[in-house]
Amino acid sequence: MEKKLKTPVPRRPMWTGSITIGLVNLPVKLYPMIYDRGITFRFLHKLDGQPLKYQKVCTKDEKVIPWEEVVKGYEVAKKEYVIFDKEELDAAKPESDKRIRIDKFVDYFSIDPIYFDTSYILMPDKNNEAYSLLLTALQKKGKAGAGRITLRTKEYPAIVHAYKGSLVLTTLKYAYDVADPHGFEELKELKEPEKTELDLAVKIIADLSGEFDITEYKDRYRQKVEEIIEKKVRGETIVVEKPAEEEVKGLMVALRETLKQLEKK
Amino acid sequence: MSERLTKVEFTNLDKILFPQPKITKAQVIEYYIKIAPKMLSLLANRPLVLTRFPNGVDNEGFYEKDAPEGTPSWVRTTKIYSETAHRNLNYILCNDLDTLIWLANLAAIEIHIPLSRVDAREKPDFLFFDIDPEPPASYEDAVAVALSLKEKLDQLGLTSYVKTSGKKGLHVLIPIVREHDFRITRAFVHKIGQHLTKELKIVVSEFAESRMPGKVFVDYLQNSHGRTMVCPYSLRVTPEATVSTPLEWTDVKKEIKPAEFNLFSVVKLEKDPWKGILENRQKLEVK
Repeated sequence: MEKKLKTPVPRRPMWTGSITIGLVNLPVKLYPMIYDRGITFRFLHKLDGQPLKYQKVCTKDEKVIPWEEVVKGYEVAKKEYVIFDKEELDAAKPESDKRIRIDKFVDYFSIDPIYFDTSYILMPDKNNEAYSLLLTALQKKGKAGAGRITLRTKEYPAIVHAYKGSLVLTTLKYAYDVADPHGFEELKELKEPEKTELDLAVKIIADLSGEFDITEYKDRYRQKVEEIIEKKVRGETIVVEKPAEEEVKGLMVALRETLKQLEKK
Repeated sequence: MSERLTKVEFTNLDKILFPQPKITKAQVIEYYIKIAPKMLSLLANRPLVLTRFPNGVDNEGFYEKDAPEGTPSWVRTTKIYSETAHRNLNYILCNDLDTLIWLANLAAIEIHIPLSRVDAREKPDFLFFDIDPEPPASYEDAVAVALSLKEKLDQLGLTSYVKTSGKKGLHVLIPIVREHDFRITRAFVHKIGQHLTKELKIVVSEFAESRMPGKVFVDYLQNSHGRTMVCPYSLRVTPEATVSTPLEWTDVKKEIKPAEFNLFSVVKLEKDPWKGILENRQKLEVK
């Protein structure tokens, strides 16, 4: 039993502004595009089923502290804090100027997806000719406009690119937010592969090459939990399946080997 | 599990199916998974008869032809009318690895196949000689009989294949072109058996003599519509979890005992003595 998850169509833009390229302005609306469709649970009190809430508790005397008495602190040394109140922090935040400033155009595929953060759909606001023009030009050249945007008081590097006949804005991570693999000692000890081994590996890759189709991947945990929810709602009892035992793991090893052999036939 | 390698949902994996040595259902399933590459082509398209021992071989087991309740929809079955049950039975066909794993999970220890395939059940594609020693005759006597049988078949220009029964006997098979019915194949096997009695005193060729102590019966009667033989590489219900094991003719020796071929050892055999048997169908000349 597999429930089909509908892809949501957002109703209201979360941001309106314009793409600016040099002196040209292109008014756009920004819609959310990425959803986390994982299953969420609420914590309840086991004894009476009442929902639980979080409270701020003082680490010294265990007293519950109301929100009005909470400020933010930055730890500068052990147990030594610099205190900020809300106004001070707000003043430091960059002002959103409602612009997506494009500095230059780059090959879309030259940007490593490691840096991609989250994506938003751009829709034309009033003038759809300019939108269509930019979209078509980007599609034709395989390019993306690179620049920056301020969203919810944080400034991001971002690109504007074509996706399925629309313009999409994808925010990027800062270089310092991505770990550098060269920090690992292991990489310094990597051996050059033998030519015959490399040829074989390349052949295996060629044999197993295919088109990537994201719809082949399903969230099986979500499906399982939804099935259980349905059963529970219907009042059925749930048999808890044991997770993969040692025995099953052994069978999987044998199975993998056999599948490999059958493949060869 | 991060990936799904089989459609089968395993159950009661730690159930002991053979008490001595202790063999669990997980080990039986593992055996069938490992032997599948050699076994699957021999199972394909043959309506199966199973002997199931869900509570282990020292408890009661049962024969099963009719696909049990709860058979998943992906398991292929075929309807065959049963004269004795007066109704259609859904025979299981094992044409893929998942079905074989599913059978093992049902604790179907022994898997038996007919000598014909489902698309022409009246036309066998095997001749089957069941060499069955009656105590005090032993495996050693069965070996002697099998070797003379091979000689005779060689003289007739027929390539034969041999396997242990997994018990005391040996099975000799000849893959044939499907053109004769069982009446003819049965008569042929019977006639060869009768010839053997002239050369070896220990051999008997008639059913009436089959239980004579110290004799080896060359059983031709299994070449009949609706009869089955234990499938090559099937486990047997024996204390040692023996396997009905295909052998090279050169390994049919008195010194190599059938109990040496069991759940643990057979998966380690590298040779596949019956490789190509289904492509080596021979034309049977009957006068």
